[in-house]
Amino acid sequence: MQSSNKLHSCSHCHLEFDAKTMIFESLEQKDYSFCCKGCQNVFHLLKDEGLDSFYEKVGSKKLHSVNNEHSSLSKFDQDGYAKKYITTNDNLNEISLIIEGIHCNACVWLNERILHQCEGIIEASINYTNHKAKIMWNPKEIKLSQIVEKIQSIGYNAYAYDSNLQEERVNKVRRDYYSRLLVGIFCTMNIMWIAIAQYAGFFTGMSQSIKDILNLAEFILATPTLFYTGWFYFKGSFYGLKNRMINMDFLIVSGTLSTYFYSIYVSLTGFGEVYFESVTMIITFIFAGKYLEVLSKKNAVDSLDGISSSIPSEQTVIANGHKKVVDTTMVQTGDIIEVRPGEKIAIDGVLYKHAGNFDEASISGESIPIYKKTGDKITSGTVCLDSVIQYRASKDFANSMIQSITTLLEESLTKKPKIEKMVNQISGYFSLMVLLMAVLTFLGWKILGVSFEDAFIISISVIIIACPCALGLATPVATLIGVSLGAKKGILFKTSSHLETMAKATTIVLDKTGTITNGKPDVINFIKENEFDLNLLYSLVKSSTHPISKAIVDYLESIDKNIKEYVLDDMKNIEARGLKASFNNVSLLGGNTELFKEMNIDFKLDTSRSVFVFSIDNKIVCFFELEDKLKTDAIITIENIKKLGLEIIMCTGDNSTVANDTAKKVGIDTVYSAMLPKDKANVVENLQRDKKIVITVGDGINDALALSSSDIAIAMGNNTDLTVKVSDIIFINNKITTLYDAIVLSKTVFNTIKQNLFFSLIYNFVTILFAVMGFVIPVIAAISMSLSSLIVVGNSLRIKRIFKNGR
Amino acid sequence: MDDNVISAMIFVSIGLGSLGLFAFLWGLKSGQFDDSDKFLGGALHDSEEDLNSAKKMTDRQDKIKKGKKK
Repeated sequence: MQSSNKLHSCSHCHLEFDAKTMIFESLEQKDYSFCCKGCQNVFHLLKDEGLDSFYEKVGSKKLHSVNNEHSSLSKFDQDGYAKKYITTNDNLNEISLIIEGIHCNACVWLNERILHQCEGIIEASINYTNHKAKIMWNPKEIKLSQIVEKIQSIGYNAYAYDSNLQEERVNKVRRDYYSRLLVGIFCTMNIMWIAIAQYAGFFTGMSQSIKDILNLAEFILATPTLFYTGWFYFKGSFYGLKNRMINMDFLIVSGTLSTYFYSIYVSLTGFGEVYFESVTMIITFIFAGKYLEVLSKKNAVDSLDGISSSIPSEQTVIANGHKKVVDTTMVQTGDIIEVRPGEKIAIDGVLYKHAGNFDEASISGESIPIYKKTGDKITSGTVCLDSVIQYRASKDFANSMIQSITTLLEESLTKKPKIEKMVNQISGYFSLMVLLMAVLTFLGWKILGVSFEDAFIISISVIIIACPCALGLATPVATLIGVSLGAKKGILFKTSSHLETMAKATTIVLDKTGTITNGKPDVINFIKENEFDLNLLYSLVKSSTHPISKAIVDYLESIDKNIKEYVLDDMKNIEARGLKASFNNVSLLGGNTELFKEMNIDFKLDTSRSVFVFSIDNKIVCFFELEDKLKTDAIITIENIKKLGLEIIMCTGDNSTVANDTAKKVGIDTVYSAMLPKDKANVVENLQRDKKIVITVGDGINDALALSSSDIAIAMGNNTDLTVKVSDIIFINNKITTLYDAIVLSKTVFNTIKQNLFFSLIYNFVTILFAVMGFVIPVIAAISMSLSSLIVVGNSLRIKRIFKNGR
Repeated sequence: MDDNVISAMIFVSIGLGSLGLFAFLWGLKSGQFDDSDKFLGGALHDSEEDLNSAKKMTDRQDKIKKGKKK
């Protein structure tokens, strides 16, 4: 038996512990050590099931030690659960579970194998990237709770995939569109080479038998295109007619169907020309436009899932002196919850036992840990940092901060631009008008004594050439180019419609800290009262992670490249005051003015800025003034934005002195200070009541409510999970010049869209005129449509130029 | 050119092309392109036991499908 004090690594999870705490075992002449019974049990289980090749696959990677305390599994078999998460297909149940604890491929392999070995599981496939397991099982042979138990027995945990079923649906739609587009493209490309032969034959003469073969081939290709790729247009026109509206879909359907049937008639009777290629080209081109729209609807950020999966699914509750593991959703108000260091808090409450530090970064963006004592409020979403604490829940999970904000924000995600409704209305009138014109044309030419075929061809040309191919591409192409260009500059648009809204914005509401300013203090002034050894000060502040200390460290390093750190004695961190230490019997003290007041050392300074004073042997030797500096180019950016004609308002939670000071420096006239989250949201709503379109830029949860009410919400740089979720546009970098770039980009894209629409409308108008006058045959109509599409795409590509001039 | 030759050329080429198209569409539908990590990582798991366990699973699934048809 080893008795040294070396660290041993557990044979299962490979984490290292003191030899005294390990369980040792000898098996088949090999020695193993385990950190806990859990790991030992899993090890034996794998050996018995013949899965110990797992250890070869996992190598020496560290897993986490097996936690055998889980909440009861009965919830998996309850009806409410089944209704929410389980789908049934022919007596087989299907569910998507997220597996907790997966570190690598080997873990995925292990889970799949263990599940495969269960009788009654028909399919178990786990996705390597998002750890989502799709499980199909026969409920008569095995229960869901037994499946989860199996997963828990090897040291993992599973919970149902709940969040954002919207994402699944979007992916399904995209795949469906993609298949249809592929069929359309395949058929169009093939029809084109057949059609070229026919064009040649039109001019040089072609024998009827060959024509028949070509016609048949074209027919075979055109049919799936029209009915499979074009299916959405049939559906769309059907619903339009049901609502007594003639929309673009009806136009497309009537044009293509009549061409299709006419071409069939021609191929059977042998008189006239066949226009199957026009049919496929129209359908495919317009559908391509639709597909581009669907593509750009994809969300740029998937941090949604990140939030829900980081909330622990189980809590340790203390009742009558016993600890019980309970599902997070079952915790009641008044229960005492125990949280260990490193765990995330899921439920709001009041701290009961043991003070400790909490990381509130995910809520407020604050990087400084906050110290809380008994009686202080604990907010969900924060992380318990250094001690085991117990707190009393003041709300249940559904009402806790994270959950309530999440639901609030989820509702705000469904905002549709008003342009879409307007476009639909216009297209209704347009289509009706075109159909009428086609009919009139037909009648007109008939009256003029032209044969039925010729008149029919002319009116069909009218419909085909009126087909809004360019119109269909005008918006999607421009927005797609705009969105991808933005992404390259660090601007992520969640959906393309935000480009349009942003271009029309009239007002910007800016947060101060972190948006206009850097969000961390910088040294502004360094006043030395007496000469002293800078290295002493450096050594004192280097030991602290407080932003003020860090700012002083950076400053000292910049003024003295050779600065050294000494090893100090009696290092002490005085909460919310400063630092104390001693070196060679000299006492060092550094901190804010409150600290020195308490130590009865005289120090007076009249300033609104943050102050850090340093004393040696209780005599003040120097002090620093620190301030949160403005971001680079902040003043120029604000000026440029004002030149674009937008109104800028500053809205901050900070006090009025600092707020007004910053506003004056940067050039903002309207300032609201000391704002609570609700106040900020009210400001936005008041502006909107004045018919203004508002952009809000911010970070931190005190902006979240305002962000969700505004027309465009932008999350800047160091943002929290929640602001990212509610924002429409996310800036990856922290630069404020990005705001200006985003506005310029949106305006350019919107102008391009307007140009495209204008062009396509004029184009349509002119060509319809030509068609009515009989100058156009369907072939020319089809070609002209492609031409107009090309022009629209080319115009949209010009958007890329705006950033080439060295911005 | 002889009519038969032209028909043959046209229909054979379209036929072969559509075979490729159908294969691609099938791949999309059955989720072959969904998880690129699994596709690449799959090469690591081709030991005899893995293949046997995979065969067992597909056999089980086929049995269910045949049972459904009856």
